[in-house]
Amino acid sequence: MNNLCIDIGYQSLNHVGEQLCGDHIDIVEADENSTVVVLADGLGSGVKASILSTLTSKIISTMMAAGLSIEDCVETIAATLPVCSVRQVAYSTFTIIHIINNEEADIIQYDNPQVIMLRNGENYDYPKTEMILGDKKIYRSRVQLQEDDIFVAMSDGCIHAGVGLTLNFGWERKEIIGFLETFAHVGFTAKTLATMLADECNKLYGFEPGDDTTVCAIRVRRREPMNMLFGPPSNPDDANRMMALFFAKQGKHIISGGTTSSIAAKYLGKPLRPSLNFFDPEIPPTAELEGVDLVTEGVITVNKVVSYAKDHLGENKNYEKWSVARDGASLISRMLFEEATDINFFVGRAVNPAHQNPDLPINFHIKMNLVEELSACLKKMGKRIKVIYF
Amino acid sequence: MKVTVCIGSSCHLKGSRQVVESLQKLISDNRLEDKVMLSGTFCMQNCQAGVCVSVDDKVHSVSPETVEDFFRREILAKA
Repeated sequence: MNNLCIDIGYQSLNHVGEQLCGDHIDIVEADENSTVVVLADGLGSGVKASILSTLTSKIISTMMAAGLSIEDCVETIAATLPVCSVRQVAYSTFTIIHIINNEEADIIQYDNPQVIMLRNGENYDYPKTEMILGDKKIYRSRVQLQEDDIFVAMSDGCIHAGVGLTLNFGWERKEIIGFLETFAHVGFTAKTLATMLADECNKLYGFEPGDDTTVCAIRVRRREPMNMLFGPPSNPDDANRMMALFFAKQGKHIISGGTTSSIAAKYLGKPLRPSLNFFDPEIPPTAELEGVDLVTEGVITVNKVVSYAKDHLGENKNYEKWSVARDGASLISRMLFEEATDINFFVGRAVNPAHQNPDLPINFHIKMNLVEELSACLKKMGKRIKVIYF
Repeated sequence: MKVTVCIGSSCHLKGSRQVVESLQKLISDNRLEDKVMLSGTFCMQNCQAGVCVSVDDKVHSVSPETVEDFFRREILAKA
């Protein structure tokens, strides 16, 4: 057991004119510290390719996570995939990255572009062994993980980006490595790295991708605990207990909510200093409180964080905003989505009488839903979440 | 003179940003920066009457529409 964990993010572009992507990514957690990531690229594009790649990735990830061998997986796929009536073959390429105990990566590759690995920000040529399974030539590698290792798996849509349009031979592997090395040191999340690479492919394709394009990034990082307090306890007598538990936790501390931060200020015996800087007209200003890393207003700010979280999991369009802005919602987003790996929510269930006004678009149920929506989104980002109610 | 504007959730939705911006402008237009200290606070537990603005501990109800009147009556006249 070590102090490492992994951050996985992916992004796809669909073949121009197609509603479905012919590439598919499946992620299965075998246990707390072991994960199987499969990127499959189905033959052709559209529905048929989507079915092939979905089946392939789902079968492999489920079987590998259950501890079955690669030989069994390949046999099962060969026996299961429907045969294409046009081409008379059942075919889907795949890349498997199996993270074991957060200590080792077992990489198995079949016909997709070779996984790019960066160590200390530079390309790392990991050893590969060749094996023949049936008629398939498969490469297998085992790599001991180090902090800040980055793995990037992709479908051939990436290396074909721009063929005959902007580039003669597509986007070559060494050029992609150069592109990634430029950003490796910045500390972008896996989702951001994948989005940047996919966006670049889209540009090279002139925004009309000639092939389904998928990028999956895996980043090895240290665990980073984070704690967030939201709302006063339903029973005011629990306030001290709630604060004691919250401040006893390791890692950074975020407090959302005006009344909640006043309670915390009283507990800490320090003045609460709200600012009057409206960095974003929609989001109320933040405040300063010694001993707390960030103090913001409650529902409005957290509501915005939830919308950023949903977008980050999908198209990631708002990234440019929250990754640099200084309003409360952006600050929380950076701390939760980028910095944290393990998040403890301390949620108070007090009903704010002022919010029960029918003229206001906020009420108790919305508040409780926000916490649930946010923790669901963060779980999808691969974070470990604990929620404690008071 | 200490003027504090509530920037809690309710008051924010009722327009505390506009109130803060108007007050900042009015204070600087009337060159009262040395006499008036403008600051923010989280919920003043009086949300029904928002936007809550306190002038030396007396709480007033202000809206973006009435802020100019309020400034003349409660701040300019007494500063």
